[in-house]
Amino acid sequence: MIECRALSARRGRFHLADVTFTVPTGQYGVVIGPAGSGKTTLLETIAGVIPADSGSLWLHGADCTRQVPEARGAGLVYQHAFLFPHLSVAANIAYGAETPELAESVARRFGADALTNRPVRALSGGERQLVALARAFARRPPVVLLDEPFSALDPRRRTLVRREVRALHREWGITTLQVTHDFTEAGLLGDVAILLDGGRALQSGTPDELFRRPASPDIAEFLGAENVLAGTVQVLAEQAPDWLDGEPSPIAHGNHAIEFTTGPLTLYTVGDFPAGAGYAVIRAEEIVLSLDLPSGSARNRFRGLITEVATLGALTRVTLEVAGVPLISSLTTRSAKEFAFRAGMPVTASFKAMAVHLC
Amino acid sequence: MTGQTTGSARGSQPWVAVIAALASSLLLLFLAAPIGQLIGAGGAEGVRQFSRDAELRGALLLTALTATTATLLGVLGGTPLAYLLARREFRGRAVLSAVLDLPLLIPHPVAGIALLLMLGRESAVGGALLAGGLRVVGTPLGIVAAMLFVAAPLFISGAREAFAKVDARFEAVARTLGDTPQRAFLRVTLPLSRRGLVASAVVMWARAVSEFGAIVVLTYNPKVASVLSYDRFTSFGLREALPVAAVLALLALIPLTALRTLRGADDGAAP
Repeated sequence: MIECRALSARRGRFHLADVTFTVPTGQYGVVIGPAGSGKTTLLETIAGVIPADSGSLWLHGADCTRQVPEARGAGLVYQHAFLFPHLSVAANIAYGAETPELAESVARRFGADALTNRPVRALSGGERQLVALARAFARRPPVVLLDEPFSALDPRRRTLVRREVRALHREWGITTLQVTHDFTEAGLLGDVAILLDGGRALQSGTPDELFRRPASPDIAEFLGAENVLAGTVQVLAEQAPDWLDGEPSPIAHGNHAIEFTTGPLTLYTVGDFPAGAGYAVIRAEEIVLSLDLPSGSARNRFRGLITEVATLGALTRVTLEVAGVPLISSLTTRSAKEFAFRAGMPVTASFKAMAVHLC
Repeated sequence: MTGQTTGSARGSQPWVAVIAALASSLLLLFLAAPIGQLIGAGGAEGVRQFSRDAELRGALLLTALTATTATLLGVLGGTPLAYLLARREFRGRAVLSAVLDLPLLIPHPVAGIALLLMLGRESAVGGALLAGGLRVVGTPLGIVAAMLFVAAPLFISGAREAFAKVDARFEAVARTLGDTPQRAFLRVTLPLSRRGLVASAVVMWARAVSEFGAIVVLTYNPKVASVLSYDRFTSFGLREALPVAAVLALLALIPLTALRTLRGADDGAAP
């Protein structure tokens, strides 16, 4: 388990402040955040390379805040590998290995065994990353910290190595924390995702939670939410128009009926959110486009005009304007072609009340 | 756009090139000519005299031994200091750096006087050493002290640069792979900074060999080579001093060649 409790550290002028999150034992955590948000500093603080100023760090139930790096049992792989240039590839992998046999076996699993006769200086960036991964895993540490470890690998190799890291993580029950810029990778690998910005952990949870229920409009935008609308929240506890007559209370299980007004649009949603100013986040893939007014159960239906159609391989993004409010829908290119969506075309955008997340 | 820039650069290039070439050539001539003339005039005689001049041989041997001892002491004490300055941020680091650079800035006879004040028989340190049977002034120990004082800052500064060139993240990785700080230093930092450290030691040794001002204050006798050449010049004139001076200049080629060889292949320390 990796548990940071209000962990703070300093690197030069950069300040990692009050970072709190937990990656349970044997789980895979991913740290995401913009460049300069403190992702590497966080890994270095957990590894013990940078001392913590305050707060505490617990690894597998033991307080490691003041422990030296060599006693923490946390392997660290930097993005730029930092292979020892004065040693051979084989010596690099065997540097801290539990046994020479394990070093060889791990090298084979990462495909680094084919590189052992080459000097470190002659390796490409991707090959260096393979060797660095093998070197860290050959020690068989209970915790592995990976700083963008696949960034220099070609797409095919990246898939294979990612699978191998995940396999070792499962087989050996290693608790892993990986920094990534790739949201797809975060979704594929992570059991727990931590969003870091400005040296602070803004949100943590499952990657799905983070993407679907961002804690702020900034997080939503950083995570690529296409529709982030500013507006006013009105809780319909009093009027409760959607509750059947005779119901004892319009409030059940913390789900309030809510109207969110943004410009001339009023969205319907449910949730537990205070009245007043707020933001509505709707992911583009939740918005369904149809030529006519659909008869489904979606509570939000708006007629608008398509302003832009952008095809990105098998996916197409359609931007439409509804009473001056832009909405973006994402659909398969096949659907977009079938409906012949084009700029200037009138369409209906519909989405369920549950697709609207307030923050 | 690019063509215009190139054209205008071409237009100004001949002037710049001529001035640069002239200035460089004059400086090169100024630096090389005296040494060349010295070796030309006294080199052959110096080599011949080397075999029959016991005092010259003794002075050269004493110079080599004292410079080597001073360098070893400088490396021993200077390496941890250089590492500290390269790796750790602490209050007073700038002051410590300035103190270490000071011997490079003060005139060397002044350095000799300062050492005499500290190590002379009248001083507390000198008195204590004398009581313990160690006389510094007027002995090879005084020569070592003078050489160490004026040349050690060069080693520390070079070694500090050599350590700073090695990214601290190499050590960080070694620590996460189970190394203690000492082990990481020996297994990673030292091998990666080796060339820089050896080059700095060679520079220190060369500087120690060429020292005159501080030595002459502390220990005129026994004579090191620089003092001997000065002594021959003041006692017997240029003719007698020339072979000794020429042999010293020839010997200077040894550390120079060693330095070039070391710097030829830079270890660097890429990730």
